[in-house]
Amino acid sequence: MAPFGVDLDYVAVAALFCIGLYMLVAKSNLLKKLLGLNVMETSVFAFIVTSGMVEGGDPPLLVAGAQPPFASPIPQAMVLTGIVVVVSVTAVALSLIVQIYAHYGTLEVDELKERP
Amino acid sequence: MSDLFDAVMLALLLATALAVARARDLVAAVVLFSMYGLTLCLVWQHRGAPDVAITEAAVGAGVTTVLFLIAVARTRREERR
Amino acid sequence: MKGWALALVVVVAATLAIGVQGLPTHDAPEAPIHDHVGARYVERGVEETGMRNLVGAVLLNYRGFDTMVEVVVIFTALAAVLALPRAGSVADAPEALPVSPVVLFVVRLLAPFIALFAIALLFRGHVSPGGGFQAGALFGALFVALGLVLGRRGAARLVPERARPWLQAAAPLTFAAVAALGWALTGSFLGFPQAPELHAVREAMALALEVAIAVGGGVILGSLFQTMEA
Repeated sequence: MAPFGVDLDYVAVAALFCIGLYMLVAKSNLLKKLLGLNVMETSVFAFIVTSGMVEGGDPPLLVAGAQPPFASPIPQAMVLTGIVVVVSVTAVALSLIVQIYAHYGTLEVDELKERP
Repeated sequence: MSDLFDAVMLALLLATALAVARARDLVAAVVLFSMYGLTLCLVWQHRGAPDVAITEAAVGAGVTTVLFLIAVARTRREERR
Repeated sequence: MKGWALALVVVVAATLAIGVQGLPTHDAPEAPIHDHVGARYVERGVEETGMRNLVGAVLLNYRGFDTMVEVVVIFTALAAVLALPRAGSVADAPEALPVSPVVLFVVRLLAPFIALFAIALLFRGHVSPGGGFQAGALFGALFVALGLVLGRRGAARLVPERARPWLQAAAPLTFAAVAALGWALTGSFLGFPQAPELHAVREAMALALEVAIAVGGGVILGSLFQTMEA
């Protein structure tokens, strides 16, 4: 979709990125920060996958009856590995957050800064 | 028709992402994030990326949500104002 | 703090808005992403890799190094989570979370179908959407769902204790073995033999990688859940 010469998909992706970035820097709760990081990451995935799309294109499956043009397979393969990396990052971060709470009893960054 | 579907889905994505940012209850935020992931998965399926859609539905919206919920259960449910 | 954050977001948004202006329209077939290697993969991918699902072909053959290091990443994540000390003592945690009978029934009803779908994704992945990664993600989600309703002891029975470390390390180990075999056969690390008489060997190597990614990935996702939940 591109009314007024602006690619709405890219605009939406950029807006999602900004929402995630705002959560990451403005929220003081560590879990909200991590949710923001996840929103940012998925918006980047959406950008990469969207860049490989073709108008009326089929998925990159060269089976009988499939017609070119095909969507580009490279962005999709990159994003597949990326999704699994994100869940790894999230799992490690969540484990650390649980440890921080058990140790300090709070998840708010400004309170954590005042602790010795 | 396809344009209408795209517009609705993009609006839903933005609305759920904003709702995640605004929610004070962390369980609500995590469930909204799961909804955001499933919407993204629908968009990808519609746009010719079925492999990515399957993985996002299982991992992005499924496993990540459960891991977040465990973390919320082990810490505090409310975000401080 | 909030003011600075908002200012940063505004600056980033403005930069992105300028950047979006310069991008090619994403739906156009003449966009640069469809030239270069992308065009070649679509044109010759089936002939060179024997996979009709080009996403799988890129993952396993053209960008095999990416995938190999990626399974090491998720394995490292599990190692990191396992290495952290437990937050609370396991003894005072409840054996299983209270689960509503509706959830219990639905998970029990759907579990065989999810498993069947994951197996179909794994073994039909070369001709339809699917492959090792997608099947592994689905196996992982299945382990998590079963772990939620079966409780700690029931979930631990799903994967035998003695085989667990080997299954968790299955994907990196298999990648190392297949890469070494490819080295011996073709002279390049993780190379796939192209000669027609080695066709069966190539198929076996690809199948071994797919199964290892699916099983290893699924077990690692399930183990991440169990470790965090315990």
